[in-house]
Amino acid sequence: MNTMIKVARYHLVTPVMFLGLPWAPLAGAFAFALARDTSHGGLVFIFFMFFVTGMQRIGGRWLPFGLALGATRRSFYAGTALLGVSMSLVYGLVIAGLQAIERATGGWGLSITFFRVPHLLNGPWYATWLTSFVGLSALFVYGMWYGIVNRRWGMLGLLAFVAVQALVVLAYFWAGLDRPLTSVSALDLTGVIAALAVVFLAGGHATIRRVTV
Amino acid sequence: MVREMAGLDEGGPLFAQVAERLAGEIADGGLAEGARVPSTNELAAFYRINPATAAKGINVLADEGLLDKRRGIGMFVAAGARATLLARRRAEFTGRYVEPLLTEATRLGIDADELIGLIKECSNERGGVAV
Amino acid sequence: MTPAISVTGLTRRYPDQVALDDVHLTIGTETITGLLGRNGAGKTTLLRILSGQEFPSSGSVRVLGSPPAENENVLRRLVLVREDQAYPDFKVSHALRAASFCYPNWDADLASSLLKDFGLRAGKAIKSLSRGQRSALGITIGLAARAEVTLFDEPYAGLDAVARQIFYDRLLAEYADFPRTVLLSTHLIDEAAALFENVVVIDRGRVVLDTAADGLRGMVTTVSGPVLAVDSFTEGRPVWERRGLGSQASVVMVGQVSGEDRERARSLGLDLTPLSLQQLVVRASGWAAGAGSLTERTSA
Repeated sequence: MNTMIKVARYHLVTPVMFLGLPWAPLAGAFAFALARDTSHGGLVFIFFMFFVTGMQRIGGRWLPFGLALGATRRSFYAGTALLGVSMSLVYGLVIAGLQAIERATGGWGLSITFFRVPHLLNGPWYATWLTSFVGLSALFVYGMWYGIVNRRWGMLGLLAFVAVQALVVLAYFWAGLDRPLTSVSALDLTGVIAALAVVFLAGGHATIRRVTV
Repeated sequence: MVREMAGLDEGGPLFAQVAERLAGEIADGGLAEGARVPSTNELAAFYRINPATAAKGINVLADEGLLDKRRGIGMFVAAGARATLLARRRAEFTGRYVEPLLTEATRLGIDADELIGLIKECSNERGGVAV
Repeated sequence: MTPAISVTGLTRRYPDQVALDDVHLTIGTETITGLLGRNGAGKTTLLRILSGQEFPSSGSVRVLGSPPAENENVLRRLVLVREDQAYPDFKVSHALRAASFCYPNWDADLASSLLKDFGLRAGKAIKSLSRGQRSALGITIGLAARAEVTLFDEPYAGLDAVARQIFYDRLLAEYADFPRTVLLSTHLIDEAAALFENVVVIDRGRVVLDTAADGLRGMVTTVSGPVLAVDSFTEGRPVWERRGLGSQASVVMVGQVSGEDRERARSLGLDLTPLSLQQLVVRASGWAAGAGSLTERTSA
């Protein structure tokens, strides 16, 4: 646990980059929506940024220096994941809070809906918090897995990784397991995403074990 | 190319050279009996060498009884050390200096009498043989 | 006492080459050892395996008593300064801060002092540093970490001769204050020779020499001058090489040269030049036979 805290502190040695960056595109999109008086799905940006951050923090140059400072691969992985999940918890709450403010102000006084995803992030604040938390966490660790695959096997590895996933998704549809999104409750979908997050965590953890820098 | 080591060279083990330097200082009177010998770290810093090497040099002299160790304080020049060293050098004097001198003199065709004359001349220029 | 580093039968294979081949090595605690050899000899691979950044193909590696790979207890007490260390996109001060909470013995004052010595500003972005400045940063972290096992892999890339002297001087000073196990890999052997208590020479993945540095000094001498005098002087002594030109000859002779020998050489008009550690290592690399006879003489 001690080492995981050290890893988290290591990532936060430039706090603005780590904590602020995920919000940047979203803030821009939000400003745009306010200026143009339109509703749109800008919320997706922060989810995308969590994916990117996860990938960068494990697959980028944070890893080699982290290992040089004495972290083991597993503790670096766990520490980074822990930090990402903690951030997701906090930012999920922020999203839920912003959603509540949006509703209370009648769409920021302009009848805009920004902090909302139909069906998924449209319910009570605690549901929004939960779903955001799970979604952000899942994307973060998903990005982490991509980062490690890239480090171990490069571009070819990434392509193979994506191809395998595409095959899995195709098989899913071919087997007729798919259903319209709206027929599944938001809570159930959240559960599925959480399960996926666990799969990503396990996969990344297995992949990092033999990485060399 | 070789690191400047205050006069030590790559010609032989460094520890032996350090011991020789210290012995020379004692023999010349630069380090008086009972005086504190520089510490391992001081020697290492001066010669810019590994402290273990400096320590080995000191131990050579200590093993020969030329240095006394006082726990917690350091190494000191033992009583009679200078006398011992000078006696040793006297014993080596003939082999080290006299015989090569004779060999070279012979090669140049300088006989014993001429050699003695040269020695006296040189000594006078210097103002007497220093003890 | 458990040696700081203990390696047995270590082999590291890659698809196209064998980087390390059945390496056996023991490094005692609180010593400075030179890890010497040509580029590509396997020094870097060995250091990376010792620091857990690479995995052995076979054999056993123990640092401070345990295998280092994925072992926090060992890695916390070890630091490897690499020439090609990658840093995240942040500043010198960030790197030092991160190091400060990863190394239990970290000395922040020493770090500041070293930055000043090397003329490195804490506020500079690492990606904007020159090669020499990056090396200076690596050396700063390596020394200020005060790790029990400190490994340097040719840490002075881009540093000029003056800066390198600063490195050697600071390393010796820090070692005197706070003894630790240091393994310094270098191909600038003569510069660093005075620091080493022991030297290990690696050639093509194998250890060809592992001995006390002082045992090597003065062991091999070049004797040059008139042919007859040279031959007379070197009669009965093992000789590595002989070269002649007209009435002059030059012979590389093995064996310590005594005071009497020196006087005799002088009277014969001969010149005696001992081989430096660097020259000895050059000959040891790629000439195991010569090195073998050398170790026979030097093992005490």
